[in-house]
Amino acid sequence: MNGITIKGLCKDYRLGKTVVRALKSVDLEIKSGSFACVAGPSGSGKTTLLNMIGLIDAPTKGSVRIAGQDIQSLSELARTRYRSRTLGFIFQSFNLLPVLDVYENIHLPLILHGELSREEKRERVMELVRAVGLEEHVRHKPFELSGGQRQRVAIARALVTHPLIVLADEPTANLDSATGNEVLDLMERINGERGTTFLFSSHDPGIMKRAARIIRLHDGEVQAA
Amino acid sequence: MKERIVLCIRNLARHGWRTRIILLIALFGAFLTFLSENILEDISRKQSDMYGRAFAGHFRILAKGIETKNTFGIYHYEPEEMLQPGEIASIKAYLAGLPEVSGSQERIVFSGLVYGVNDAEKGFNGVAMDMDAYNKELSDLFYAKGFPVRGGEADACAPSWSEYEKNKIVEIGKRYVFLLPNREGEYVDRFVTVKGGIDYHTMPKAEIGGVGNVFFDLKGFRSLVGYSQPLASEVIGFLRDARTANRVLPGIAAFLQEQHPRLKVVSWREYAPIFAEIVLGFDVMMRTVEAILIAICVLLVVKLTTFSIIERYSEIGTMRALGFRRADIAFQFALEGFLIIAAGALAGFLLAAGLIETLHITGIHNNLTFFAWVIGDGFSPGFYADKVVVVTGIFLAVAVLAPLLPAAQGSRLSILRTLEKR
Repeated sequence: MNGITIKGLCKDYRLGKTVVRALKSVDLEIKSGSFACVAGPSGSGKTTLLNMIGLIDAPTKGSVRIAGQDIQSLSELARTRYRSRTLGFIFQSFNLLPVLDVYENIHLPLILHGELSREEKRERVMELVRAVGLEEHVRHKPFELSGGQRQRVAIARALVTHPLIVLADEPTANLDSATGNEVLDLMERINGERGTTFLFSSHDPGIMKRAARIIRLHDGEVQAA
Repeated sequence: MKERIVLCIRNLARHGWRTRIILLIALFGAFLTFLSENILEDISRKQSDMYGRAFAGHFRILAKGIETKNTFGIYHYEPEEMLQPGEIASIKAYLAGLPEVSGSQERIVFSGLVYGVNDAEKGFNGVAMDMDAYNKELSDLFYAKGFPVRGGEADACAPSWSEYEKNKIVEIGKRYVFLLPNREGEYVDRFVTVKGGIDYHTMPKAEIGGVGNVFFDLKGFRSLVGYSQPLASEVIGFLRDARTANRVLPGIAAFLQEQHPRLKVVSWREYAPIFAEIVLGFDVMMRTVEAILIAICVLLVVKLTTFSIIERYSEIGTMRALGFRRADIAFQFALEGFLIIAAGALAGFLLAAGLIETLHITGIHNNLTFFAWVIGDGFSPGFYADKVVVVTGIFLAVAVLAPLLPAAQGSRLSILRTLEKR
C-alpha cells in the first residue's frame, strides 16, 4: 500500500488547565494518487490532521503510515529527510521567501538535493515554471506577483522534489474564487499527469466539490470519508 | 553553497538598517582595534628605541638619601646632600680613567619659578650644567642641538623648546624675573635673559624630545645665586656603549663604596620600568576600549540576529517544512552573521590600514612634553604582522561565534510554532 494509513490518531492541546481534543481517534486510508479534500468548519481539526501527516506536529496517540512506514517512529533527522524527499507543502499564505524570485523560490528545496546536477535542477525548475504558466515571471519577486501567481509558485515549489504526497492547507483561502479554481485546475492536472497524491483542506463547498474524495471532519472526528 | 550565500546576501539586503548597524559596528570595532594594536606596538618599539638612545648610556652619582625614582631627573634634595668640590673632583678623575666612559660633568638640578609672559607665574625644572661641554661633548643627547648660552654666562638661560614653543612661558630675547634656589636652598629673585633655546625647528622630528627644562650654565648659575663653594647636586656620566652598563656600573659603585660611602650611582635605566608602566597604561586603556567595542559588537550581533530570527519565524517554519535540517537553519543565520561581520571588519581593516599608512607617511606631531619622551614626536606607526594576525583572528572569532547562539536558538524552534507566527 503506497498511500496513507492513519489509525487511532489523537491530538490533544493544552490551553492552560484545559485540554482541547483536536483529533479524536481518526482512522483513514488514502490511496496513492488520490485527489482528496479534508473538509470541515474552522476548528474541526483539518490543519492538525495535515500537520500530523506532514510530520510538522506529533500525535498524542495513534499512527500515520505512508507507503507502509510508520513515520512517527522516525528520528528527527529521518523526519526532516522524509519531508524533503516524500512530502510537498502548499500553505494558505503561500510562504514564499520574499527575497527570492520565482525561479529561486521553486529551486529552494533542491538545495538539499545534492545528488542532482545543476543542470538537472534547472530543468526541473523550468519544467514546473512552464507547468504553472509563469515563464514570463521567472525573475519576479513574490511582491510583484498576484495571489494566484504566488500560489502557483508555491505549488511548483511543492512539486519540484517529485514528492509522493502534496499536503495543501487551505490553498485557496487567500484567493478569489476564480483564481482558486485555477489553482485547483493546476493541482488536478498535475495529479492526473504525475499521479502525485494531493491532500488539501478547505471549508469552501465550491472547492470541496472539485475533490475526488472528501474527508469530512467535525470536532476532530471523521464524519464521512 | 552558492545558493545559500545568495540567500544570505538577499536577506542581508532585505534587512537594510540592521545590516548597516552590524556592518558599522564591525567596521568601527575592527578599525579601532587594528589601529590601536599597531599604534601600541609602535609606541612600545619607539619607546624602547627612545629609551635606548636617550637614557641607557647615562648614569648619575649623588647622595644615597636622594630618591630618584619617578622623578625623571628632577629630584628633591637637601642642601647638605650636595656633592662637595673634593668629591666632585675625585669622581671626575675616576671616571676619566674608565675607557668605557665618554665624559662626565657635575650639575645642579632644581625647581624654579619665573614671572614670564604677562607676569604669569610659572614653575619650571632647572638644570645648571657646563654649557660648553654640553654643546661640545654631549650632543648625543637627543634634545641637545645648537645652543647659544655659553659657559660662564651668569644671567642667561635657555628654556627647552616646549617652554617657549609650546607652553609660551617666555619669549626669546626677553628678560624676566626668576626665583632660583641658592646654596642654602632659599629662593632668591634674579633678572635673567632668555637668550635662546634648543633649535627645535632644525632638529630631525624623530629626535625632538625633552621635558620642560630651563638650562643655565653651571658656573654662571653659581655666581648668579651666590654659591660660596662649587657644589653640585650630582655628577652625570656617559657610557660610550650602553651595553657595558652592567659591567661598568658595579665598578663605579664599588669605587664609591670605598671612597665616598655617602654617595651612590644610579643608572638611568631605572626609568625602564616607568616607561614600561606607561606603555602598559596605554595597553590597558586601548585594550579596554577594544574589549568594550568587541563586547558591544558581539551583543549587538546577538541581539540583531535574534530580531532577525523573530521576524523570520514563518520563513524558518517554511524551510523546516521543506526539509531543511535544524543545522541548515542554524548555518543560514550563522552565515549571514559571519558575512556581515567579516565584511564590516574587512572595511574597518582597510580604513585603519589607510590611516596607518597615511600616518606613516606624515607622522604624528606630538608636542605633549611628557609623552614626547616616551613615544617621541612625529612617530609613525606601521604594520606589524603579529598584530594583523591577532586582530584578524579576533574578528574571525567574533564573526563565527557571535551569531552562533541566536542561530542555534532559531534552529531549535518548533516548525508548528514558526508556521503559526505571521
